[in-house]
Amino acid sequence: MQELALKGFGEVLKTVTFRVRRYDPEKRELSKYMEYKVPVQMGMTVLDGILYIKEHLDHSVSARYSCRMGICGSCGMIINGKEQLACQTQILELNKDLIKVDPMGNYPIVKDLVPDLSKLFRNHESVKPYIIREEEEPKSEFLQTPEQREEYAMFTDCILCGMCLSACPTNATDELYLGPQSLTQGYRYITDNRDMGFNERLNVLDSKHGVWRCHFSGACSEVCPKGVDPTLGVQLLRQLLASNSFVKYKQKEATKGPERKSVSGVS
Amino acid sequence: MMTIENKKGWISWFNPFKYGTDRWMYSLHRLTGIILGLYLIAHVWETSHILDGPITWNSLMVFLDYPFGPHFGPFILSGVLLVAVYHALNGIRLTIVENGLMLPKPYRPEFPYRPKSLKGLNNVLKILLGVLMIIISAIGIYFIFTGVIL
Ligand code: SF4
Ligand code: FES
Repeated sequence: MQELALKGFGEVLKTVTFRVRRYDPEKRELSKYMEYKVPVQMGMTVLDGILYIKEHLDHSVSARYSCRMGICGSCGMIINGKEQLACQTQILELNKDLIKVDPMGNYPIVKDLVPDLSKLFRNHESVKPYIIREEEEPKSEFLQTPEQREEYAMFTDCILCGMCLSACPTNATDELYLGPQSLTQGYRYITDNRDMGFNERLNVLDSKHGVWRCHFSGACSEVCPKGVDPTLGVQLLRQLLASNSFVKYKQKEATKGPERKSVSGVS
Repeated sequence: MMTIENKKGWISWFNPFKYGTDRWMYSLHRLTGIILGLYLIAHVWETSHILDGPITWNSLMVFLDYPFGPHFGPFILSGVLLVAVYHALNGIRLTIVENGLMLPKPYRPEFPYRPKSLKGLNNVLKILLGVLMIIISAIGIYFIFTGVIL
């Protein structure tokens, strides 16, 4: 059994061509493609392929990565025309002899495959992705039932890889669009029963470049590596904002637990 | 930092390859919308000829019916009908789903992640759209070519 599982492990199974988009900020020239031949072993991901190129063929190839296991969300790039995490994409599963690697779209490129994600982080910040309360220091815990948690739990899985903004066709033409990631996070905090910040977030979400710009192309959900389903988040937010203009949205008051001297434990 | 822009631009509206049905329908919706807009402009221009008197009008009508040989006009009209029916029906579908209706409740994503908002009742709507489109365009095209309403 074990022999079968390890069959072909460590052997070079085939050689694929990587066509990598290059941009050198120092040369100030337009980006171009360069091709590299990479021997592929079983289990090699596209990120492994890029690292192989960096180690053996061309040291100047740059990419963004950190965890190599789909957790940090650093290595999003366009692989054969679709946004994917390079560390989660098996070369053999792609089943192609030519692998085209592009940096994510709709972001400025810093170098080669490295995008400048500051727009994503700015937009994320603008929807205030944290619990907003009126009291300065809470005296007790805020209670939440499992059902209440279920209402937003799936949207907390976002790893900020930014691939949804690259796939979004609205974002391709609207510079100021908040993007599926931020809108979904806005919804996630609004529906949290401990949160009281609906009105503070309203002017950002319900703006010209906010939630109404989504045209339901579903591309964000398709590329999301964590199954966050931003399409759903954006539509639910839209439903909430639309009904808010008829019946004012009532913030859910979280029930409070027994009062304590200090919830932080430092009294 | 010397970055360069990497906007995908409007051309990417029409690049649904590698993505799923919703993305394809988005591209088609854009395309049909643009075609309808151009058609409406041409249509207003065409009907404005009624001001030039009956002779111009009649010769224009004949020209539009037979621009490149017999019955080319009806073909164009059938095309416009298909475009309009798709845009209208998909518009209704989008109105429904974009208001969060007929979409699933928040759920637990499980590997391999397949977004549920693009499936389920949304898929039922898409199939309904296809069926309605076939029926309506069949009736319409039959009418365009024969002048008989089924
Ligand atoms: S919603 Fe998904 S695709 Fe978008 S940034 Fe978060 S994890 Fe990435
Ligand atoms: S390197 Fe962390 S997600 Fe790919």
